[in-house]
Amino acid sequence: MIPAVTPRPRTGGDAVLEALEREGVDVIFGYPGGTIMPFYDALYGHPMRHILVRHEAGAAFAAGGYARTSGRVGVCCATSGPGATNLVTGLVDAMMDSIPVVAITANVRMALMGTDGFQEADVCAITQCTTKASILITDPGQLYTKVREAFALARSGRPGPVLVDIPTDVLKAPYVPEQHPPRKVNDVKPVATQESIKAAADAIRNSHRPVAIAGGGAREPRAVKAFRELCALLGLPHTTTICGLGASDPNDVHGLGMLGMHGTKASNLTVHTADVVLAFGMRFDDRVTGRPDRFAKGATIVHNDIDLSEFNKIIPTDIMLHGDSADTIKALIAELKTGHIPRFDDWAVQAKALGGPLPSDESKDGHLSATDFLDQLVASMPSKSIVSTDVGQHQMWTAQRFKPNTPRDFCTSAGLGSMGFGFPAAIGACFANPGRPVFAICGDGGFQMTMPELATVKRYQVPVKIVLIDNRNLGMVRQWQELFYDERYSATNLSDNPDFGTIASAYDIEAFRISGPEDAPSVLAAFLAYSGPALLHVSCYPDELVWPMIPAGGVVEDLMESRT
Amino acid sequence: MTYDLVVGDPRTVARVINMAHRFQCRASRVDSTSSDTVTTAHFEFAGDAKQLDRLRAQIDRIVQFEKIFVS
Repeated sequence: MIPAVTPRPRTGGDAVLEALEREGVDVIFGYPGGTIMPFYDALYGHPMRHILVRHEAGAAFAAGGYARTSGRVGVCCATSGPGATNLVTGLVDAMMDSIPVVAITANVRMALMGTDGFQEADVCAITQCTTKASILITDPGQLYTKVREAFALARSGRPGPVLVDIPTDVLKAPYVPEQHPPRKVNDVKPVATQESIKAAADAIRNSHRPVAIAGGGAREPRAVKAFRELCALLGLPHTTTICGLGASDPNDVHGLGMLGMHGTKASNLTVHTADVVLAFGMRFDDRVTGRPDRFAKGATIVHNDIDLSEFNKIIPTDIMLHGDSADTIKALIAELKTGHIPRFDDWAVQAKALGGPLPSDESKDGHLSATDFLDQLVASMPSKSIVSTDVGQHQMWTAQRFKPNTPRDFCTSAGLGSMGFGFPAAIGACFANPGRPVFAICGDGGFQMTMPELATVKRYQVPVKIVLIDNRNLGMVRQWQELFYDERYSATNLSDNPDFGTIASAYDIEAFRISGPEDAPSVLAAFLAYSGPALLHVSCYPDELVWPMIPAGGVVEDLMESRT
Repeated sequence: MTYDLVVGDPRTVARVINMAHRFQCRASRVDSTSSDTVTTAHFEFAGDAKQLDRLRAQIDRIVQFEKIFVS
């Protein structure tokens, strides 16, 4: 006789899941623990996909990678105390780059909160200044509503992360059906005034040397389309920040490449000599401006952003276009079309000529150069590839070389520069974009920060291609030590790195190795042809530097293209 | 600079004070009252004029996060 099975009583955990379902969530990256068990119990046997990472930091970065490459909200979850605090870097990362992420954390039961209970951390306070909102839910009747509101807030206006913290007794409480529908969202985007649009159009018409810049705010497809249309309409030289890479049409000959510290010489010199700078959805980060009082000094700054607080924050705004980038650019195009439409092709040709090819490193002396290898890799990548990078030299080399078709094809921790981001973010990108080739390009330092996610790749057979650029050093720090700290290489030597191929093999992940320039073409071809997850260990010589470089706080005249 | 804050979340007062310090300004006076649903606060800040401008813009920004919902 089959024993009768008592149905599991529904709990607050079910209410959270119901809210996630209603928000269209198809995957959660997380790690269980004591206080979040009621949520995991509700998840047991539920069709929603949960991806068990091996460290909560991996969950937050994977959620970020999911969101960055899809435009949808990424979701991660963790238990109280250390589980929750391990999410924090990924949430700050999402805040810095305006990425919509919802983090669900459990906390100790309400009676224990504030008593330094086991695995208690005041994660709401910890994340209050690094998220759009951190919400503590203490009423089981509000779970459904508040979780849904967290999604609305994460998506609205300038997107960003929201943390929802739920005491375990609230998660464990009997299920309460939806009490109140979520509050309506008043997400009316600001619209740049017609007067400001006209002023911007007049500035363009009166300009001789305009340049356009696309930032992360121009990442969404409508904005990309509008940006490309504006550039094509005017024959406009244009550049992007690292977050805006892919906004430029790869076939537009007037694209100048990336702007900033390791941007192209042409883009930096063009912005420096421009008389009008059209900045769309960018925030004049110090890695872009260098010394702000010398940035585009002679130019009229036309600044578009959805976030009012960005105007005049770093660079004084001359013409403020407060609005969504797509709508603003479209309005600008419409205004330009009401009168004379200037063309700037001659200036664009001159602008491009201000630069030249990327400087190549001369010190390789028969060794494998990371940039030579990355040139080969980028040239061999399948179409529609998505690239996620970690942080450091390889990030800049990749950003200089990879030409994404859209900004969502390039995933990098730009504002926060979080080492350890690239690999788990690529895992998130794989789940958001099934069927598309995804590459995680990592350095040996950052990869070791989140390397346990190899287990995640193995378990779910995540088809990520890991490219490990190993120069046995914390290369970017070493570069600064060489150039600015009298070659005092303090704590940057990683010459005792493990055999990464052996580590991958231990997880049953196929490993490929390139140890010299002669191996590169054939091993790379075999790696690319391999179906399924794989790691390519590329052993490069350590002395290669990222060029060009404008030193931090410097000006374009300080741009360096070699050691001498 | 003075700022009058009306928000739902009382913790916003602490967030603003933290933010002032981050901007190298000082909340020299804070008067705040809270009910179940509304917190009001009157701040007086001291600091460099440019930093105070940035602070005001950032406070406006976080207040805006709450305003996306229509009750």
